[in-house]
Amino acid sequence: MEKILLRNIDTPDSHKISVYQSRGGYGSWEKVVREITPEQLIDEVKASGLRGRGGAGFPTGMKWGFVPKDNPKPKYLVCNADESEPGTFKDRLLIEKDPHAVVEGTLIAAYAIRSHTAFIYIRGELTFGAGILEQAVEEAIAAGYIGKNIFGSGYDLDVIVHRGAGAYICGEETALLSSLEGGRGWPKVKPPFPATNGLFGCPTVVNNVETLAALPWILDHGAAAYASMGTEKSKGTKLFSVSGHINKPGVYELVMGYPLKKFLEEDCGGVPNGRKLKGLIPGGGSMPVLRREEIENVNLDYESVQAAGSFLGSGGVIVMDDSTCMVRAAWNLAHFFAHESCGQCTPCREGCHWMEKIFRGIEQGKGEKGDLDLILNVSGNIMGNTICPFGDAAAMPAAAFIKKYRDEFEAHIKEKKCTVRME
Amino acid sequence: MEWWGDRKPIFRQSNVPVFQVFVFMDPVQIIIDGQEITTTKGTTVIQAAAEVGIDIPHYCYHAKLSIAGNCRMCMVEIEKMPKLQIACNTQVAEGMSVLTQSPKVLAVRKAVMEFLLINHPLDCPICDQAGECWLQDYYMEHDLQDSRFDARKEHERKREIFGPNIVFDGERCIKCTRCVRFLQEVTHTNELAVIHRGDHSTIALFPDAVLDNPLAANVVDICPVGALTDRDFRFKVRVWYLHKTPSICPGCSTGCNISVEEYQNRIARFKPRVNEAVNSHWLCDEGRYCFHDLTGGERLTTPMIRQEGGLVPTTWEKALQAVVTGLRAAAPLAGILSGRNTNEEAFLFAKLMKTLSLDAALEVFYHERALTEVQKILMSPDRSPNFRGAREMGVSSNGDFESLMQKLLAGNFSGAYVVGEDIFGADGNPEDVRRALQKLSFLVVQDIRLTETGKLAHVVLPGTHFGEKEGTFTSRKGRVQKLNAAVVPPESAMQDVEIFMRLLDAAGEKMSYSSPSEIFAALAKEIPGYRGLDYAAIGDLGTTLGGGEATRQ
Repeated sequence: MEKILLRNIDTPDSHKISVYQSRGGYGSWEKVVREITPEQLIDEVKASGLRGRGGAGFPTGMKWGFVPKDNPKPKYLVCNADESEPGTFKDRLLIEKDPHAVVEGTLIAAYAIRSHTAFIYIRGELTFGAGILEQAVEEAIAAGYIGKNIFGSGYDLDVIVHRGAGAYICGEETALLSSLEGGRGWPKVKPPFPATNGLFGCPTVVNNVETLAALPWILDHGAAAYASMGTEKSKGTKLFSVSGHINKPGVYELVMGYPLKKFLEEDCGGVPNGRKLKGLIPGGGSMPVLRREEIENVNLDYESVQAAGSFLGSGGVIVMDDSTCMVRAAWNLAHFFAHESCGQCTPCREGCHWMEKIFRGIEQGKGEKGDLDLILNVSGNIMGNTICPFGDAAAMPAAAFIKKYRDEFEAHIKEKKCTVRME
Repeated sequence: MEWWGDRKPIFRQSNVPVFQVFVFMDPVQIIIDGQEITTTKGTTVIQAAAEVGIDIPHYCYHAKLSIAGNCRMCMVEIEKMPKLQIACNTQVAEGMSVLTQSPKVLAVRKAVMEFLLINHPLDCPICDQAGECWLQDYYMEHDLQDSRFDARKEHERKREIFGPNIVFDGERCIKCTRCVRFLQEVTHTNELAVIHRGDHSTIALFPDAVLDNPLAANVVDICPVGALTDRDFRFKVRVWYLHKTPSICPGCSTGCNISVEEYQNRIARFKPRVNEAVNSHWLCDEGRYCFHDLTGGERLTTPMIRQEGGLVPTTWEKALQAVVTGLRAAAPLAGILSGRNTNEEAFLFAKLMKTLSLDAALEVFYHERALTEVQKILMSPDRSPNFRGAREMGVSSNGDFESLMQKLLAGNFSGAYVVGEDIFGADGNPEDVRRALQKLSFLVVQDIRLTETGKLAHVVLPGTHFGEKEGTFTSRKGRVQKLNAAVVPPESAMQDVEIFMRLLDAAGEKMSYSSPSEIFAALAKEIPGYRGLDYAAIGDLGTTLGGGEATRQ
């Protein structure tokens, strides 16, 4: 398989502009600026079938198309480098090993929406990556890829690397914009949507690092080449961050539609120590867990994973073997979401902590009959009722753990202790 | 009436403005709960529902603040939309069908109520908000279940002093951010913000900030729960014991519409009443607490007359006769009326003084001070709510209060009648005023307390204050508004109109009005600008001069 996203990362000094250029880097950017209009660029990316890699999988070209052309306000392109989804570490690899692909993708996307200022909002904890990105932007400015009158085209573009202050919620695009504006990292009430009222009330597109990093290749090789890979609706390649009970954890690039079981057993070397797979979260911590038997025929594309009852999400694959206490796993995630809930809207602010307290009680041997139905009910009361998708992100995994491993939860409640780790 | 009294606080009744339908606005037809409604483009579902009297429950939504959408209480079902939508942020669209009482909607309301209450201390028995708390109201309407939460409640800051008038209880707070938005969007003073995250989120003052801006106490009114309470009103009285009388703030000539709330014949608090033509939803702190100064202190218990050795109690009959005789003999006369006297009182006072002496110089007490930008949002520079109306009633002699005081100090008068104001220190040096008053051959003072001015009077008449009388004020901008009696005056006091009528009677000008409305009818025939005004049509929201018709907004 030809690597698209990871094509440069094994090259020594891959983060340097000279190395990137020697491998054809910024060729797409030059072609875009010199040869095609923003409309043609949007059409090309639409034709590629590229979908947002942040988790929602929204078609990228279509998202750009929502930006009104006649709006006199400045337009902003924001690269979402606030990677914080539990079990997800793919963007970090790109940022650290191939920062110029991220920068070039950011430039291309900015051009598509006629933006003259682009931001790369990077998670506060990624200090190393932020330094690399800042260096890359400096290099690109020095090379004339960023600045005034780029390639003599008359097009100006500035890129600003902005470090977040460390909140999971700032990965949600409107919370990110609030944070970037200097405010509290609170998601905005929608409508209006960022495409018309985003950063500082101006038309804004927020794209994930991986999405943007795919653009130079797509423009270089053509939309058809990208669209020839993958399934009918899930095109191209995607990065998967594999962690947990697996022999070869790491970041993998797969063509969309790759069989999950084959991936785990052949590419990732299977579950270590002769243990058996118990369950797996396919798309980062906010997606529903799948039982071993549920992944038999799952392929790694948006539709197949959804058909199995979960979501491809960020591609953060968290593998759990049969030594895993699912109550503790659920509690761990519930704790994360309770801690990260921004507190703005009622169901999420109160519900996430409530669920965490019940999970903790069960794991601590204080569970009561009715607790499981209560969590299911509380998660149902959060689902769909919040300002941003965080509520769903917290409610879905909580409900899935109980529904799929209910016997284990009930045993905890009955025995008043953990019944897995005791074996 | 529910067991805790008026179900809806005054500010909530009119929380949603009644939108006027202008011809140039695009009409939109929608259906709410089966009812066909014509509204206008740009209207939100919560507003459209309010227009036809459907109250969609909400906490964070406030007609005068930006949309926060955080409480999630106003969620409604909209046909063809997969998820429930918040009514406060959903604009109407042609043909939209909205359900506000569907099983899904009721279930979400119940869920939101449960969420809001899990960390709430449930300390209603010691909470001032009890009785006008939206959590209580909505619990009764939409929740009514025992708590399913048996974990440890999160604790928060209690009894934190936010400012001279405001105290905060973090555990009662539902984080609706109304207070934060008010301070950002109305006063632009930005004292408060939300800090921390998740269920540790709480409202806090910025470092070194104090919530003491001139409109600060409005946050107490807009707080739907007991998180922000009024230090002045705190623990004074249960709100369901209050009797609420619509009236006009006597603090200045803006004429903010208020509810005077009384318990055991004492004014317990002022609350703003919504009037978009005057004060919108707000009331300034100075006005809000001015009733303490205007009603407090030791009341006069009897008319008094000066004899050898000082003021001694006398009967009303003797006192009034002495006033007529004394003033008639003391021309040239000065008459000073308080700006807190009503139009009806001013009308009679002018007549009385002209009857006693055609040349009587009359003015309304007036004093201006400079205002800050925040004060200017509501406050007028004076403290004379009816100076305009009283002058228009004839209490004006082609000059102003200052020039009248100058003449008084210069010894141009030998008699004076001062109503409702202590003119000591009003202008210039108090000792100058004292000397000028001492030189008068006859001084009448009518007030509720024995003021410094009163101590020099030859006759002292116990009158009534703004909260004890009915009548009208005319605001600085010319809006005639109605004052209503909220408390009963002490037995020893007499209504100011009654005093003036009896004096007119004694002076030979019999006036037999039996009520302020009759006096108003008389002045509406006589006073230019007031012609054709109808007392009954003034209503609770007032009417503009010249129009004659009450403008409802």
